[in-house]
Amino acid sequence: MSRQIFAFFGVVAVCLLFVGDVGLSQQQKPLAGSQTPPAKVAASPVVDTSVMSLEKQKAFISQNCSGCHNDKAKIGGMTLTALDLDHVEKTGELAERVLKKLRTGLMPPAGSRRPDQETVKAFVGTLEKQLDRVAALRPNPGTRLFQRLTRDEYARSVRELLGIDVDVEKYLPADTLSEGLDNMSESQAFSAALMEGYIRAAAQISREALGDPNAEPTSAVFKLNRTSAQLRHVEGAPVGTRGGISIMFNFPADGEYNFRSLMHGDTEGTLFGNSTNEQIEVSIDGERLALLNLDPGMAEESSEKGLNLATGRTFVKAGAHRVSAAFLQKRSEIVDDIIAPIEHTLASIDIADDGEKTTYPHLREFEIAGPFNVSGISDTPTRRKVFTCRPSSRSDETPCATKIIREMARQAYRRPLNDEDMEGLMTFYEQARAENDFESGIRTALQVILTSPDFLFKLEPVPATVKPGQNYRISDLALATRLSYFLWGTVPDDELITAARQGRLKDPLVLEKQVLRLLADSRASWLSTKFAGQWLQLADLLTFRPDPFYYPQYDHSLSLSMLREVEMFFDSIVREDRNVLDLLTANYTFVDERLALHYGIPVVRGGQFRRVELTDDYRRGLLGKGAVLALTSVADRTSPVQRGKWVMTVLLGTPPPPPPPVVPDLEQTPAVSSGKLLTVRERMETHRNNPNCMSCHRMIDPIGLALENFDVTGQWRTWDKTYAISSAGVRIHTAGIPVDSTTTLYDGTPLDGPASLRQGILKYSDAFISTLTEKLLAFAIGRRVEHFDMPVVRSISRDAAKKNNRFSAVILGIVKSPAFQMSRAQAESTAVH
Amino acid sequence: MFITKKAISRRTVLRSMGATVALPFLESMLPAMTPQTKKPPLRLACLEMVHGAAGCTRYGEQKNMWSPAAAGRDFDLAPSSLLPLDPWKKDLTIVSNTDMHAAEAWEPHELGGDHFRSSAVYLTQAHPKHTQSSDVRAGISFDQLYAQRFGQETPLPSIQLSIESVDQAGGCMYGYSCVYTDTMSWETPTKPLPMVRDPRMVFDQLFGVGGSKNERAKRRKTDRSILDWLNRRVSALKSSVGPADRQRLDEYFENVREIERRITRIEQQNASGESRQLPSAPIGVPDNWEEHVKLMFDLQVLAFVGNTTNISSFKMSRDVNGRVFPPSGVSTGFHNASHHGENEQRITQYAAINKYHISVLAYFVDKLKKTQEGDGTLLDHILILYGSPMGNSNLHNHKRVPLILLGHAGGALKGGLHFKAPDGTPSANMHLTLLHRIGFDNLESFGDSTGEIEI
Repeated sequence: MSRQIFAFFGVVAVCLLFVGDVGLSQQQKPLAGSQTPPAKVAASPVVDTSVMSLEKQKAFISQNCSGCHNDKAKIGGMTLTALDLDHVEKTGELAERVLKKLRTGLMPPAGSRRPDQETVKAFVGTLEKQLDRVAALRPNPGTRLFQRLTRDEYARSVRELLGIDVDVEKYLPADTLSEGLDNMSESQAFSAALMEGYIRAAAQISREALGDPNAEPTSAVFKLNRTSAQLRHVEGAPVGTRGGISIMFNFPADGEYNFRSLMHGDTEGTLFGNSTNEQIEVSIDGERLALLNLDPGMAEESSEKGLNLATGRTFVKAGAHRVSAAFLQKRSEIVDDIIAPIEHTLASIDIADDGEKTTYPHLREFEIAGPFNVSGISDTPTRRKVFTCRPSSRSDETPCATKIIREMARQAYRRPLNDEDMEGLMTFYEQARAENDFESGIRTALQVILTSPDFLFKLEPVPATVKPGQNYRISDLALATRLSYFLWGTVPDDELITAARQGRLKDPLVLEKQVLRLLADSRASWLSTKFAGQWLQLADLLTFRPDPFYYPQYDHSLSLSMLREVEMFFDSIVREDRNVLDLLTANYTFVDERLALHYGIPVVRGGQFRRVELTDDYRRGLLGKGAVLALTSVADRTSPVQRGKWVMTVLLGTPPPPPPPVVPDLEQTPAVSSGKLLTVRERMETHRNNPNCMSCHRMIDPIGLALENFDVTGQWRTWDKTYAISSAGVRIHTAGIPVDSTTTLYDGTPLDGPASLRQGILKYSDAFISTLTEKLLAFAIGRRVEHFDMPVVRSISRDAAKKNNRFSAVILGIVKSPAFQMSRAQAESTAVH
Repeated sequence: MFITKKAISRRTVLRSMGATVALPFLESMLPAMTPQTKKPPLRLACLEMVHGAAGCTRYGEQKNMWSPAAAGRDFDLAPSSLLPLDPWKKDLTIVSNTDMHAAEAWEPHELGGDHFRSSAVYLTQAHPKHTQSSDVRAGISFDQLYAQRFGQETPLPSIQLSIESVDQAGGCMYGYSCVYTDTMSWETPTKPLPMVRDPRMVFDQLFGVGGSKNERAKRRKTDRSILDWLNRRVSALKSSVGPADRQRLDEYFENVREIERRITRIEQQNASGESRQLPSAPIGVPDNWEEHVKLMFDLQVLAFVGNTTNISSFKMSRDVNGRVFPPSGVSTGFHNASHHGENEQRITQYAAINKYHISVLAYFVDKLKKTQEGDGTLLDHILILYGSPMGNSNLHNHKRVPLILLGHAGGALKGGLHFKAPDGTPSANMHLTLLHRIGFDNLESFGDSTGEIEI
């Protein structure tokens, strides 16, 4: 060990020479455009009276921790025997784990003797300072393999380069997640399937973007989710329509296309729905293309066309157009049956067939087939963007092609081009030009650009002088790429690249200005759609489908509204540069009519989302969001365990340890005791009496139990739903059981619902901020946050605290940190798989 | 025997690809005017279902919910979830009472991770390394071992298909990398292969992109010159990056070479005069499980018939998946239902889910049986492995796992047999036996195998 430390020192000495004085001085003035080192990690030098002596620290551990966490007992798989408080850096990883448990108040566990708050604070503060001091002297920016574009980054880059939306899922395999994030370099394996995906995507996208006069007819089919609501207006569709589908589609050429709508049939194969005189309108960019009547007698077997309605071939110009197929809205209000119609009616056949109510036909899939009789390629925004010049003679062609190709490649490669780059691309142009025409030359060059590792990989050149193990500052151009993919998920724009090319981006003032500019740009929605989605595990919402017996009103459309709510909520924190703690406490949210009805918020009409003040305290912040509450439920009941685990993992950064091997499942716990139906809560308590489960579940469960007033779909309830089996053998609803949300948080705080839980968690707001910062940092640098990064995380949080925990302060802290701006040169021996 | 090509309209094709029917269509997919004299190659389809089976519980064994009471050639499927396979009893080999020891926790820190380790064991019979970083390790999988030796003559050595989305957040736990759960095919012990979920992607992989034969040929030519250029470009890039990144670029480079190789194969095949009438691409991912699975089966049959590949692995579900299967008559989600708490009624319910899955498998078997090839059917020339790397899902154990084989593997497998192994027999003995029969005569062991079984 000591030899390693020594070697480590040697490396640091060299790296300090190279980058300047990383981590030494506190008050460094930024030097414009020069070799300014990134922001400091150093601990505050202010003398702190709360510092604990080494003896007291050791006593703290032996009195409060070692009783369980010793080599023999190893409770929770952890022993602190090795913890070296004399040289904290030697057991830094262990020390950081101890800090996490103490900072969130999880340890020592409830029920055992707990030291007073001040003592814990002093211990934590002292240990953190020791770790931070060592890290400041020997900064470790970490190292990772180069990243490739994720599937979503690929799509966004293409949108930026060519102005079209492409369906990348069609071409590229899904990215593997690590720590819930899809851009972790260590998980980005290469495979032949991926390689083939790249090649195919490039060929197709270059044709879609520039148009293809030789396009052969093909078909694209869009399927609607089975439980898509058909009663309300769909975003993008013309006003005055309901249900259906609205999509952006890239038409490859001017020509004729056929649009086919397939309706849902019932079990007998006849048209589903009992409302009459329904019509489907197919429109392009809001203009009606056809109005098709639904024949109530149509059926799968009745004729050749079955349940299909086709427009027949219709002329459409090349380029991206919004295509909609939706039902004409025939009534101004939703039909008023004795039993109100449920939104989707197809969640289960039981409901769909439940005679008494009005049911609407459902669009099942929509197909666009063509082009037939191609007549050319009209001008499109993409073509105008790409073809910045038009050769008027053969001799004009090469200079014009050079100009076009240089511009496309520069943007895609995120750097200026050299002669070698251009030579390669122009060879492809020339070849295709010789065989075909000017445009096909450009298209082939574009295809090559999209396949190039310069586009697909975020390679960061290592300065030739750097030796393995040395820290070095990444180039300004690499910094620009990191920055734009972090905040935008796409290629840097001209301004950012220019700043980088001129070597100004490393200047902290310029950098800060650029960060704030990027954050203010609409493309920063990436943070709310991508980052927040992954951090909060929102993808799970879309695969969640509750039991339609209990929750017939829940459908795919509602889950999309819930998702949108969280995205807009997170986006408001970004845009308004709010205190990140508002994520837990904000008294506003965003709803459309559907979600407002679900939440019981009055007077919201229409599909447009709007900001509303919350009058119900329980709805505040992330803990009151339908998305979070639904994704942590199981089909027919809430799951306090999953909710507790979600809070501990996502908000507090302390995932509970895995359960012991033979897990007695909750379902195994009888739902009835002495003839009395039990609530989920009561069943859980019985289940929890098992001592094997007790030690962890008494931390996890109360968190979820405090949220029991939220049902599976996030609706407020005071009764838990129950059912009985009727004489006919089917489930029928019964009275239900009152919900009890009183419980005790792991630290002894009494809880009686979401508001008290929120207050309970806010006591550990430092842990929340740290967890968010860690996740953002991992997302920013494409690798897992390790224990040696924690001093950086703390420094970011400390600085942000001085700025009222503003979102931009956290982002700036990350961007200015060595982890973001620097790298440690890879050693020869780094294992790669 | 010669088969003459029929013209089929795009609509017919789309309908066939979309949902059901499709047998006449399949015949028309056969290579036009191709003499069918050569012995048809062996096809291998490795199918995985997760969460064990009801028949692997004590109660389920008593009631013969999976393996029949009688061993040998005379067995009764009536009480079993395998009943939908009754019409193909002669093509069925049941291998019961074997253990997948490699899927158990070997170290205390691995406890509890059964769901997140199982799939990596199913075809490798190797114990996955407990890690969530890139240093994953399992073993070469059964399908890949075969593909590396016998898959090189087809445009694609093998295909990997899946049903469930792999990007489920929070899906992989207990310190196991998600790849262990997402795939069951391992090209090397450290190289898991991604599985493709979108039937359209599978289609493009199988048949290439482009509306016509000429168009496809033209595209291949461009692809080839791009690949040439990529070779040079990668070499140039290597000089400016660190050693570990250089290694990663090498890995990428290998993939470039692999694609070149595939193009060469396709061109050789085309040069030999074979041409195929291809259907239009299928329609994205169906949201109905059964429809999706059947479409994937259709694509595998197409690939086998056209000799685009002879080897497939198909992951029909993903561990801890909570999907409800309404046609099974059970309204409890898959994972929850699998935790039946040893309750007899709930085990019986779970058996209904298992049975439903088998009924969908029967669609595939039926199709293969109805596809004539050489002097038999495709079912005679295929080896299908179906089962789960878990036994009693409620206990998360990997003992007495449900395993069946279908088809006759070109004569290597007699079928019509229930082989009940002696207690404690490693499942790997089945893999080893099969490998011996299909060309790996001298292979000494596979995973934790201890010998052959008598099937």
